[in-house]
Amino acid sequence: MGIIKALKLGFDYFKYDDDGNASEPQRAVKDVDLDIEEGEFIAILGHNGSGKSTLAKHMNALLLPTEGTMWIDGRDTKEEKELWKLRQKAGMVFQNPDNQIIASVVEEDVGFGPENLGIPTEKIWKRVDESLRKTGMTAYRSHSPNRLSGGQKQRVAIAGVMAMRPRCIVLDEPTAMLDPVGRREVLEAALELNRQEGVTIILITHYMEEVIRADRVFVMDSGSVALSGTPREVFSQVERLKELRLDVPQATLLGYELRKAGLPVPKGILSREELVEVLKKCERRQRISVGPVPEEQNPFSRNEASPALSLSHVNYIYSAGTAFAVKALDDINIDIPDGQFIGMIGHTGSGKSTLIQHLNALIRPSSGTITYRGEDIWGEKYDRKALRSEIGLAFQYPEHQLFENDVLSDVCFGPMNQGLTREEAEAEAKKALHQVGVKEKRFLDSPFELSGGQKKRVAIAGVLAMNPRILILDEPTAGLDPHGRDEILDQIAELHRERGITVVLVSHSMEDIAKYAERLIVMNEGKVVYDDTPKKVFMHYKELEEMGLSAPQVTYILHDLKECGLDVDITAGTVEEAKRTILSCFAVSRENTPDTGGEVS
Amino acid sequence: MIKDITIGQYYPGKSHLHRLDPRTKLSGTLVFIISVFLFSTIPGYLAATVFLGAMISLSRIPWKIILKSVKPVIVILLFTAFFNMIFTPGEVLWQIWVIKFTKEGIILAGRMAIRLIYLVIGSSLMTLTTTPNQLTDGLERSLRPLNKIHVPVHEISMMMSIALRFIPILMEEADKIMKAQIARGADFEKGNIIQKAKNMIPLLVPLFVSAFRRANDLALAMEARCYHGGEHRTQMKPLTYHSNDAIAYVILAVYLAVAVLFKVFGL
Repeated sequence: MGIIKALKLGFDYFKYDDDGNASEPQRAVKDVDLDIEEGEFIAILGHNGSGKSTLAKHMNALLLPTEGTMWIDGRDTKEEKELWKLRQKAGMVFQNPDNQIIASVVEEDVGFGPENLGIPTEKIWKRVDESLRKTGMTAYRSHSPNRLSGGQKQRVAIAGVMAMRPRCIVLDEPTAMLDPVGRREVLEAALELNRQEGVTIILITHYMEEVIRADRVFVMDSGSVALSGTPREVFSQVERLKELRLDVPQATLLGYELRKAGLPVPKGILSREELVEVLKKCERRQRISVGPVPEEQNPFSRNEASPALSLSHVNYIYSAGTAFAVKALDDINIDIPDGQFIGMIGHTGSGKSTLIQHLNALIRPSSGTITYRGEDIWGEKYDRKALRSEIGLAFQYPEHQLFENDVLSDVCFGPMNQGLTREEAEAEAKKALHQVGVKEKRFLDSPFELSGGQKKRVAIAGVLAMNPRILILDEPTAGLDPHGRDEILDQIAELHRERGITVVLVSHSMEDIAKYAERLIVMNEGKVVYDDTPKKVFMHYKELEEMGLSAPQVTYILHDLKECGLDVDITAGTVEEAKRTILSCFAVSRENTPDTGGEVS
Repeated sequence: MIKDITIGQYYPGKSHLHRLDPRTKLSGTLVFIISVFLFSTIPGYLAATVFLGAMISLSRIPWKIILKSVKPVIVILLFTAFFNMIFTPGEVLWQIWVIKFTKEGIILAGRMAIRLIYLVIGSSLMTLTTTPNQLTDGLERSLRPLNKIHVPVHEISMMMSIALRFIPILMEEADKIMKAQIARGADFEKGNIIQKAKNMIPLLVPLFVSAFRRANDLALAMEARCYHGGEHRTQMKPLTYHSNDAIAYVILAVYLAVAVLFKVFGL
């Protein structure tokens, strides 16, 4: 028997109404069989609400099965009297880095678990030193967690679990709230523990790139295991994964598309190196059809004559005049004309959040001027409240601002602040809700009872209902599964097309930017480093990496192919474009070496 | 940035005062507060000043930071001093319209001011040299006897340290929600008191929801890390007295004796 084993595991939960009456039982997990061997690296995938978190909580005895059995290290969780003894064996790391750190000093937090286990003081210190070393956090031991980045906080949480000397660590979406640098950090730490210490790792995620190095992958759907196997086996089922609201890494998708087009690419490509290797060996005489080349998208027009919003020499200093003064923005010059779809990228702390708050006058620049349609927005008589309804801003996790009893009233909040009557506001609200795809029957539900994706939509509708001409979105898709991510971004793109709204999309995902934005602004250390079309910016992929960013995966693949002598267009930023240029490359080769009917020799 | 606000005002350092046991520092502060009320003459205040000055230089905390701690009470200080001066009956020194400044009033005001300032500096010195966590630990240990009468001392101190950790996080969150609502046209400043209170709903509801969500998450995380109450729990940093603490207690005893003697002999 493995370290974690489940047999016919089922779990029901109940919803309670205001009077405390239980609803019909809702099945969150059903008929799950698992047998995880010690030392394995397991990944569990699944869309939001697929039951993967509920399953994870069973592996730590935080939940006990309604049906079936769960064994942790050979012991039935339902039989055990002192559950904390089981929890010591299978530690757990949660999604929100802030909400799982108990102490105000890193080392004390790591010591929290051993303290609970009743370990003698000297041994606690030994364990804390050891755990901090293994997670690479020794240098931060006396820091306050509030001063750490998201990735570092998660490493502290992992160290805290390690200090209990578990045999297995369950990580429940540990990277969902992190930026790419933090995600890498956490994943590396987990892999390191798995390889060096032989700790069994169970990683729950919906980032496909994190799954590649797992020994086995389980894909959950509506409470049960829908797919399982090695990453290669799972990723070769591209269509099935899409049905399950997931996606595959770009290299896998590109490989799949090329295979469909007729190139001899094997199923289940996992990495960029693999795909490049395969393509190198491909004979350049394939019977493939390239398909019509869609018309080139117009590069964005810099309508410099009359930008809607214009920043010139904007500087911002946090805590000015104190010892903690930080220059957050450094001489920013940006013009935003009407109708653009702008992507903005930069790692955490690059100043992008500060910048977008300048755009609708939530923060006043320390120096420099911001003008909207020619007027200085910090002019003495300027109506900044009116400005904010022209320039809508939805913060990261906009669902955290919902407060009304029902969805419709919440969305009405903005329009009513603009001075509309309730009826007029409701009309606007309904329009906005339709535009983001919230169904009519949801309008009178409490916003707090909606799913994560629905909440986000309602919150975005709350901004949209004010009819802004510029819409700024700070990572609107954080925490959503791939399908939810695509849905929201598609809807935003549609708004941009149909209503002509100018969109500023702050994102960590270069892939998303490449797909949607016509202009990309890259921020680093408070400065605008690049401001150009995504294609041109991605040419600087090496510089982007130095800033802790990266170009889309296809960019790397194309550069690699170019180096191998293939004549591909290295500016392609999306899978679709990459496929076309690779195929055309092979097709051209075919024309150059006339087909002699297979009698070359 | 709001993140930088630490609750309490710990000033990192490695001085003798920093390294004392928090219980010693708690007792020390108590003794000092008592002494300030025992002294009532200039030589007495001089003694208190010498003691406080010695402690401050021992702590190696810059004077600027010490003085900064007085800043928040300056308004109250001036206010009470003013009222003491004009409402204390006695020999009138000078008079503007109906306001009379009396000699007794000025003396009383001066005394109150010195006491208040010394109180603030004295307790700040403790919070500047002690992390909030050490402070909660110190309180927990000092109050442990209350366990016998079923006061859940461990639980209370656990709650205090969790509160200390989450206050900055919730403050940052409040700031963010506020900005998000301002972006939706909310106005947190206009209107009368009732209107203002009503305007706070879009801020308070999400903040409470978030606080509950965090509490829920944290409870789960604590459970996952085997927390099961204060029993059988060991401590990573248990409080232990060192030789320094013994010296400190001797100094405190001498100082207290001096203060009592001053009182007895009416110096």
